[in-house]
Amino acid sequence: MKINFTLNGQPVTVDTPANVTLLTLLRDNLGMTGTKDGCEVGECGACSVILDGKVVNSCMMMAPQANGRKITTIEGILDRDGGPNDLQRAFVEHGAVQCGYCTPGMIMASEALLARTLTPTEEEARNAIAGNLCRCTGYQQIIEAIEDTAALRRKASITLKNSREVIQ
Amino acid sequence: MIFQDFSYECPTNIQDAVAMLDEAGVRSCPIAGGTDLTIGLRNGWILVDRLVDLTRILELRTIQKANQVVRIGAAVTFTEIINNPMLRKDLPLLVKACEQVGCDQIRNLGTIGGNVANAAVCADSLPPLVCLGSVAVIQSPRGQTRIPISEFVTGPNQTCMPHGGLIESIEIPAQPAGVKGAFERIGRRKAMAIARLSLAALGSLGSDGRISRVHLVPGAAFPRFMRITPVEDLLIGKQPEEALFAAAGQAMADQFNQVSGNRWSAEWKLKAMAAITERALRQVFGGMNEN
Amino acid sequence: MNRHTRHQFVGNPINNVDGFSKVMGKARYVGDMNLPGMLFTQVLRSPIPHGRIIKLDTAPALKILGVLAVVTSDDFVDHSLFGWPVKDSYALAYQKVRYVGDPIAAVAAETMQAARAGMQAIVLELEELPGVFDLRKALDVDAPFISANPEKGIPNLAETYIVHNGNPEEIIKACPVILDESYFFHHQEHAYLETEGVLAIPNDDGGVTVYSNDQSPFINRNNLCMMLGLPIQKVRVIQPPTGGSFGGKDDINYQNSAQVARLALITKRPVRITLTREESLIASYKREAMEIKINLGAEKDGTLRAAMAQITADSGAYPSETPLAAWRGTMHVAGAYRYDAVTVDTKVVYTNNSYSGAFRGFGNTEAAAAIEQAVDEIAERLNIDPVEFRLKNALRQGDRTMTGNIIKEEVGLTECIQWVRDQSDWKSKRAVYAQQKTEKEIRRGIGIGCYFHGSGLGGEGDDVATCTVKIENDYSVTISSGLTDYGQGSRTIHTLIAAESLGVQPERIQMLRPDTQTSIDSGPTVASRSTMISGNAMRVAGQNVSRMLTAVAAEVMHCKPEQVTRVGESFLGPDEEPLSFNQIVDHANKMGMPLSANGTWGMPKIEWHFDKGSGVPYFCYSYGAVVAEVEVDRRIGTTEVLGIWMAHDGGTIIFPQGARGQMLGGIAQGLGYALMEEMKYNQGYPQAINFDNLLIPTALDVPHMEGKFVETNFKEGPYGAKNLAEPMMIGITPAIANAIAQATGRRGRVVPITFEGTLLGHDLTPPAPIKDIRMVLGFKV
Repeated sequence: MKINFTLNGQPVTVDTPANVTLLTLLRDNLGMTGTKDGCEVGECGACSVILDGKVVNSCMMMAPQANGRKITTIEGILDRDGGPNDLQRAFVEHGAVQCGYCTPGMIMASEALLARTLTPTEEEARNAIAGNLCRCTGYQQIIEAIEDTAALRRKASITLKNSREVIQ
Repeated sequence: MIFQDFSYECPTNIQDAVAMLDEAGVRSCPIAGGTDLTIGLRNGWILVDRLVDLTRILELRTIQKANQVVRIGAAVTFTEIINNPMLRKDLPLLVKACEQVGCDQIRNLGTIGGNVANAAVCADSLPPLVCLGSVAVIQSPRGQTRIPISEFVTGPNQTCMPHGGLIESIEIPAQPAGVKGAFERIGRRKAMAIARLSLAALGSLGSDGRISRVHLVPGAAFPRFMRITPVEDLLIGKQPEEALFAAAGQAMADQFNQVSGNRWSAEWKLKAMAAITERALRQVFGGMNEN
Repeated sequence: MNRHTRHQFVGNPINNVDGFSKVMGKARYVGDMNLPGMLFTQVLRSPIPHGRIIKLDTAPALKILGVLAVVTSDDFVDHSLFGWPVKDSYALAYQKVRYVGDPIAAVAAETMQAARAGMQAIVLELEELPGVFDLRKALDVDAPFISANPEKGIPNLAETYIVHNGNPEEIIKACPVILDESYFFHHQEHAYLETEGVLAIPNDDGGVTVYSNDQSPFINRNNLCMMLGLPIQKVRVIQPPTGGSFGGKDDINYQNSAQVARLALITKRPVRITLTREESLIASYKREAMEIKINLGAEKDGTLRAAMAQITADSGAYPSETPLAAWRGTMHVAGAYRYDAVTVDTKVVYTNNSYSGAFRGFGNTEAAAAIEQAVDEIAERLNIDPVEFRLKNALRQGDRTMTGNIIKEEVGLTECIQWVRDQSDWKSKRAVYAQQKTEKEIRRGIGIGCYFHGSGLGGEGDDVATCTVKIENDYSVTISSGLTDYGQGSRTIHTLIAAESLGVQPERIQMLRPDTQTSIDSGPTVASRSTMISGNAMRVAGQNVSRMLTAVAAEVMHCKPEQVTRVGESFLGPDEEPLSFNQIVDHANKMGMPLSANGTWGMPKIEWHFDKGSGVPYFCYSYGAVVAEVEVDRRIGTTEVLGIWMAHDGGTIIFPQGARGQMLGGIAQGLGYALMEEMKYNQGYPQAINFDNLLIPTALDVPHMEGKFVETNFKEGPYGAKNLAEPMMIGITPAIANAIAQATGRRGRVVPITFEGTLLGHDLTPPAPIKDIRMVLGFKV
């Protein structure tokens, strides 16, 4: 069946079987393998994508449910120049990436958090990634990367606000 | 990988949805969030010819309050419930339970209607819903019916949903003033853990400082979700105090033992059940007489 | 963690070299690899724990539309027999199935649906046999027969090990305080986020190229040559980016590789297999379960005098590397303490539980957890503080270990214990928690766990690695190692070591993926070998090339090589006209001198006499200590970990961020092992088959952790490094167990420590999910 949705900012029309999950649609049908398959039952978060601003497990969504929605995957959050964005850079700099398999999902969950708040407490940050299992890092460096990025973005928004005030 | 073939329909009104679900010869199943359904489809526990997506039906997506009744559309997600200011104020017990479901990913997709219809023994919304006296508003080929949720869920993963039926909404009566609630939940880890045992409690005191009202609904304990009235009766009219809470906890354990005492997990649940009953009562009544 | 380092690159902050490709979702793991014409695989696996294969007819599978080939053990040399140190495993079961999930036949088809239909069409008749499920009963005279190590000739016995160091029995008899307890450890699942997977591509010359997310491409290659009957030149194994392994992706991937390689050769198409999470939990090997009995004798003042231990390790259906893990456990089971005498008796047995194999810690995870609980218990009987007890007995430089060998290197154990004691505020917390009222429902406790861990393979075998360094015409540097990185950061470590030894910026360096065609066989990536042994080999290779560069510089500057010095990347001669790295490379090219070299390094020869139970098991050790603070809800049995402090002596830290990540991640894995990862078997059926029941810690389960590296001097390691990745998961489990003991006043002596165990004193057993397992494996229910 034909579905229309926005994928990483671009409108797409896809002819999808009804009986595949969004994860299968992304990885197999659309060849976007950045989103990972860790368990297929919504327990590990490796398949996390952002749906209308909220983080969800794409393995728990049927592909047709994407119709009319706005979806962002790991491929969609790169910097304007095609390189890593500030959060992705922070992950690398803080040692928050080891084997890297949980990383795309972890980053999407982190982005969803930072879209909600730029002043997350440690508890809020841990809560936001509680649905993303990591077997390598012990989560601490990931939390540090999130907090660091939040601070950077706070600063940037103050700068933006200040420059707006100056312009006005 | 899902190894079965099925079609996918998106009705925009209840009548069409019911007609599809009722159609003979086509095994149809409603889908809203899909968090339980996708797993069932993948594992082969649920076999279908067609999925009927309910999320385009507006009445199923709204939250309203009118005439002392809170109405939550069946396709409202846990996150929408948690973030709704009116629900946070009026039904904190339900909000607290919804906050503990899985994780953000699950709460953003999973719906209250799905939680009720799936009727898992460990479902988090069911103890508070039954505690609050909630009703499931069912639409079926026979029209609209209202069934108390305590009667709607008939056993583990079983409901008395009529053929071709769907949950349109959950209706919760507004709680009288002075009612306080508590939700105790035990999981094997701090997130993404099903409830191994839970308890929703509500209560209030009379002007004489004695317990005038108490509702106790355990989860992941009994075959159905219901108020345990023998324990509630022990508490009515009494002064709230530690010895009473302890006795109620023991009585709850005894009730559990009578019904489910032969299960493999009973030895642990018996003790834990007494503990969380005491604690819930302490939370509900503990500070009340000091005011 | 800022630190001062005397090296240019080693020990300084650097990003993980693979970091950016991973955060951008660009790294391609096996499951991300798709080729035109690629076929998909489904494997028929045993639904019962023990049975004889009466009938196996694969012809019906080939009639299914889309199915192109089916293989069984008949399609391999020697029925696909492989395995080391005991050669008793099969890529596909031969005559018998020995555990639930044992692979029997593999089907390749155009689609997954067709492959599954093909798999389900195979006619399989099994005669169920009685099984052995309790490791304690495996050697009973009337136990059902599973298999045997042909060199031992005893039913259900895979291997035995001993330590014979003096006569502890006599000494213990005379001790004023003794302990005689038994500790049990259930299996543990690796739970890497990426499951096992292999892609096999047939070559025109009748050979095959295999992309496998295993840890040891050369072992895989050698096994494939043997099972497929192909010469070395015709089999190439490459390790792609791998989503975690922790020891778990070896044997299972040798099986997967053999299956898809044969299918690829038959169909002349690429064939890929990726295990579902259920298959991974059901079919792939686990950490062995163990029963460890410990008998200790001590003086009234807390001096440990002697120890006797007995270990029974559950190797499960096939031996895999469990014998070696059991050996390592044997070498460490009396702990990092001084004794007058120690004996150990170890048996590795077969059961019909899932087969066991390598998993981080490799036998020492259980051994240390046992002795650390035992030591805690005996300290309690003596009314001596657990930290003081350990400080009193802890190994120091010059002491003899439990196996009788002298420790030549510096030992940072005491410093580690003191650091965690002080940082955690041990003294006051221990005292306060001892005063808690017995009736209190929520009680806290603080506990300590120590460890020592031998570096490298030790007495397991020759421990040699070879690395290559090559300077290319474009002034970049290509390096390779035969060992692999599955997330632990070894690629970054090798890059740093190469940079340091060559004297060039790390940015110039590109590391090739482990590839049997371009790397040099250096044995398995286990036992923390990649930093120590391969790291040293990389240092040697880098120094070899560095000498070539110096020789060229000397030639150009008309001086002696000894007169050439390095300033940054540049070369300085007596006449003060520096030459840049690029200029030297250009000159070398003009001279026709290839700037490449190998570097080989092997552990100094040591010898363990297996028959006598004596000798030198390891060349050196790393050490550490962990303190955990917990809060136990005694009405419910739950435990929350409030804080963790850890110090590790791994010698020089080469990649600080990576080392810290290994420490924090290791703690999380040990915490999970202690409290929530119930990978148990009920009559041979796994009780958990996906992450809904096999619970590993989430971000909310791991508290804030404080860590420190004690950098002792160790001459023999690359820039002084010892090992760290493995041992750093070891101390937390006993620290938590000991903390819970203070909080509850009771000891369970079983890991994992469950709610039920803490509340009731014993575990409860849910019914085995036989129906779910059958459904998942594709059988009718």
